[in-house]
Amino acid sequence: MASVALTNLDPASRAAARGWSDLTIRNMFIIPTLVFLIVFNIFPLIYSLGYSFTNFAANRSEPWQFVGLQNYRELLSDDHIWSNFVITAKYVIVSVAGQMIVGFGLALLLNRSFPMKGLITTLLLLPMMMSAAVVGLFWQLLYSPSWGPINYVFGLGDFAWLSNPDSALYAVAITDIWMWSPFVMLLSLAGLSAVPQHLYEAAAIDRASWWYTFTRITLPLVSPILLIALIFRTMEAFKTFDIAYTMTTQPTAELIAIRLYKQAFQQWDTGKSCALAYIVLIMVLAITNLYVKYLNKVKER
Amino acid sequence: MRKIVTSVLAGVGLALACGTSVHAQDKELTIFWAEWDPANYLQELVNDYTAETGVKVTVQTTPWPDFQTKAFTEFNAHGDAYDMVVGDSQWLGAGSTQGHYVDLTDFFNQHKLGDVMAPATIKYYAEYPGGSGKYWAIPLEGDAIGWSYRKDWFEDPKEKEAFKAKYGYDLAVPTTYVQLRDIAEFFHRPDQKRYGVAIYTDNSYDAMAMGVESAIFSYGGDLGDYATYKVDGITNSKEAAAGLDMYKELYKFTPPGWGKTFFVEDNQAITGGLSAMSMNFFAFFPPLVNKATNPYADVTGFFANPAGPDGKRFAALGGQGISVVSYSKNKDEAMKFLEWFIKDETQKKWAELGGYTCSQAVLKSEAFQNATPYNKAFYDTMFMVKDFWATPEYAEVLDQLNQNIYPFVVGGKGTAQEALDKTAADWKATFTKYNRYK
Amino acid sequence: MAAVRTSSEIALNRAAIVAVLIATLVFLAPIYWIASTAFKPKELAVSVPPTVLFQPEVTPFVRLFTKRVQMQKTVDPQVYEAAPWWEKRIYDGGERVLKVGKDVQLSQYPDRFMNSLIVAVISTVLAVGMGTFTAYGFSRFKIAGEADLLFFILSTRMLPPVVVAIPMFLMYRAVGLNDSHIGLIILYVAFNLSFSVWLMKGFMDEIPKEYEEAALVDGYTRMQAFFKIVLPEAATGIAATAVFCFITAWNEYAFALIMTNRRAQTAPPFIPSQIGSGLPDWTTIAAGTFLFLLPVAIFTFLLRNHLLRGVTFGAIRK
Repeated sequence: MASVALTNLDPASRAAARGWSDLTIRNMFIIPTLVFLIVFNIFPLIYSLGYSFTNFAANRSEPWQFVGLQNYRELLSDDHIWSNFVITAKYVIVSVAGQMIVGFGLALLLNRSFPMKGLITTLLLLPMMMSAAVVGLFWQLLYSPSWGPINYVFGLGDFAWLSNPDSALYAVAITDIWMWSPFVMLLSLAGLSAVPQHLYEAAAIDRASWWYTFTRITLPLVSPILLIALIFRTMEAFKTFDIAYTMTTQPTAELIAIRLYKQAFQQWDTGKSCALAYIVLIMVLAITNLYVKYLNKVKER
Repeated sequence: MRKIVTSVLAGVGLALACGTSVHAQDKELTIFWAEWDPANYLQELVNDYTAETGVKVTVQTTPWPDFQTKAFTEFNAHGDAYDMVVGDSQWLGAGSTQGHYVDLTDFFNQHKLGDVMAPATIKYYAEYPGGSGKYWAIPLEGDAIGWSYRKDWFEDPKEKEAFKAKYGYDLAVPTTYVQLRDIAEFFHRPDQKRYGVAIYTDNSYDAMAMGVESAIFSYGGDLGDYATYKVDGITNSKEAAAGLDMYKELYKFTPPGWGKTFFVEDNQAITGGLSAMSMNFFAFFPPLVNKATNPYADVTGFFANPAGPDGKRFAALGGQGISVVSYSKNKDEAMKFLEWFIKDETQKKWAELGGYTCSQAVLKSEAFQNATPYNKAFYDTMFMVKDFWATPEYAEVLDQLNQNIYPFVVGGKGTAQEALDKTAADWKATFTKYNRYK
Repeated sequence: MAAVRTSSEIALNRAAIVAVLIATLVFLAPIYWIASTAFKPKELAVSVPPTVLFQPEVTPFVRLFTKRVQMQKTVDPQVYEAAPWWEKRIYDGGERVLKVGKDVQLSQYPDRFMNSLIVAVISTVLAVGMGTFTAYGFSRFKIAGEADLLFFILSTRMLPPVVVAIPMFLMYRAVGLNDSHIGLIILYVAFNLSFSVWLMKGFMDEIPKEYEEAALVDGYTRMQAFFKIVLPEAATGIAATAVFCFITAWNEYAFALIMTNRRAQTAPPFIPSQIGSGLPDWTTIAAGTFLFLLPVAIFTFLLRNHLLRGVTFGAIRK
């Protein structure tokens, strides 16, 4: 490992010799974090990888047996699990797309000076400061066909958002969009405010159309940060548990994280749950990896 | 630097202190139960014990959907957070065979609880395996499925006349499921924001299963042979399918948005003036008889679960027994508490506070049966209860049932027979996996 | 900006501001609903049509902080008359307050709230602290396989909590960390650390190296330079990171639900349990939610300027 500090000082000079060496400092600063993450993230993963090949159940005292790939085979041929994945994919697409559109749209609107901008921006962040479990609970009330304000305001009558198997998932996605669009908005706003003003001015002098300015100047410069928002939101949406868990019990809205929770902590099928966890993990890693590669490409441009 | 390090250390120290400070207090018992009125009544009851003995007793609660998960997470972690748990009857299998519960057989025999407590409560809340004479819990709260209804709607002469004209018999408290269905249909008027019936549909724990099994049992069906684990031809019998079909039929007459409902929603169907009849466990009825919580308290009546086509009449058993957790550090203290709890005076006080005692003497007393408008119906129901599987893998069994019947009842997918065929097949696979067929 | 602004540009600008105001109202409507429910009489929480204007009351907060029990009959008028005002409000709702002797029994809300505070504050301090050091390390020193290490750090954030929960549960069971503050703090630090490193790294890269080098030439050690020069420059980024970490830790639900019970349970799994035991009591959970939102909202509001600038610097480059 290269141990050269990025300093112009001569390593033998008096300045560099004072105090701890840069090498010590570097190790002191980085190693604890790496060790911490290995112990509390990687070690558990190895642990559960081992269990994924067994029929271990954490609620039993009987010894477990090695079952090879049986857990994986069973899971991949289980129709319920496949439908959970399809549901999750639908959910991720709808909710992340919604958040990106609403969040970026809000940021475009906010990216100008007006009175009380700071206050309004902070107020818009309120939804993401709430606990998702409680948000889910309250949206149940908001969606209620009998006394919820949503159906009343929009004149939807008896439309049962959460009891209708076809709409439950989208009702959850709408709540998620409400909750997390502000996050996308915040990142987009940061990106927008970093676009050099003179580019806009030049475009204005050229009498460029709004659309031209937007697609040729704004979007390319903001896209790296939009991608970061996209990465984080996709990861989080894939993991969604609390909102959906408190809002609905529809099988048509059973996300993979909920299935995993039930399998692991209600049925205590630990071995199989570890296998399922691994399948989920590989999928998230694959998706994120694609994004990160794309992000690096965008940044190089 | 030093400042930061010090403050971080101080923070960790604070956390350590908070994490351990609980241990410092001695003589404290924690009872774990679900969040519902009886748990609050129990807290009130045990406050007397605290006053008498100085031992602080806390009833810790969690919402029903998480109750089973939370309890078993703690058991499986061999945690000592709870000294006693008021566990569902279905837990006895897992609690006893996996060593989570302390064996109370000696305690049971020594205090002759077999004569003190009502027979059904001993059979379902205390003994495992059935007929073995081994006891793992003291029956604490008896409970079963019952119904509340709007007396004023039922007794309205105009309604009576219209009902008779339409169905050919008098509008009265239903004694069969078919009558219940007719009445639900009759009162179902969405344009007037009035609906027929409120039933359980929450599938996150056992709510929906309890509603469905009440119908299946009354229709002469069964969930399986609990002794031999035979399910083929029992779980998916014609009778069982007819019962499930009836439940699905009732779902048609529920208020809008009735897809994740349990006790609070069903009670609200009455207090909000939404529905004519509402299913609920008896323990949830107290808010319905108090004018402060139910504007229709004076015109709310109660009845026991109706019979099926052959006159068979059953109701799903709720209720719980109290068990001592074997990982508790205060087991002796807990046993002392149980001795206090089974005293006649305590049981009497328990009933007065609103708890459903399982003590025969109290149950039979006039005072108990007349104490509330629903106690009589409760007493009758306790002689016609049947329970769900109590096998150690019951959580898996329950989830499989939920997965198969929920899409049928709420989603309208497939038929009752298909849902139960699939359930029987899933159960057979599960029982095979656990070597139940020897 | 350019002095020549056409009238159509001004109109567009006005329209955008109006749109912002409408969007803000839409976004705040559910929050208004929660906040207003916290001050509603019980029956107005589920009224038809929904109630927007009403006489506010604090009864939900009284309920939130007390242990209560449903009464089967209305209260004896004499007892009612003798009760203090807040107890009367409880009686009005058909309940009575539980007492041990004469002492009113408090609910567990204050304990849960304190647990949340302990766990969120300590885990945020640790995650941001470690993240800052590590980010500085990555920013200033050459490290073999730097990109891979950084991706590794990010990847730890990708794990669905339930995935980590299974092995963590088994590990905690083995060492007795279940239902402890430390156990939860460790989980949250592990969860937030990756985010913190990534955000802080972008920020550290923005601070010119020349600052420290000048300090080193002036006779500072590297550590002194870090604490006296770099940290103050990084304050904005630290504040932004802290806000994000705090929000996550404060609201975390899944781990808290699985890993904690009596001793260390935080408020998020607890608040939903206040839904009521016989009838849905939306007002009490609204009160719990409202109080629980206040600290994080105040924290964010105080750091709002840092938040936007922090994100600008930190996230845009890397």
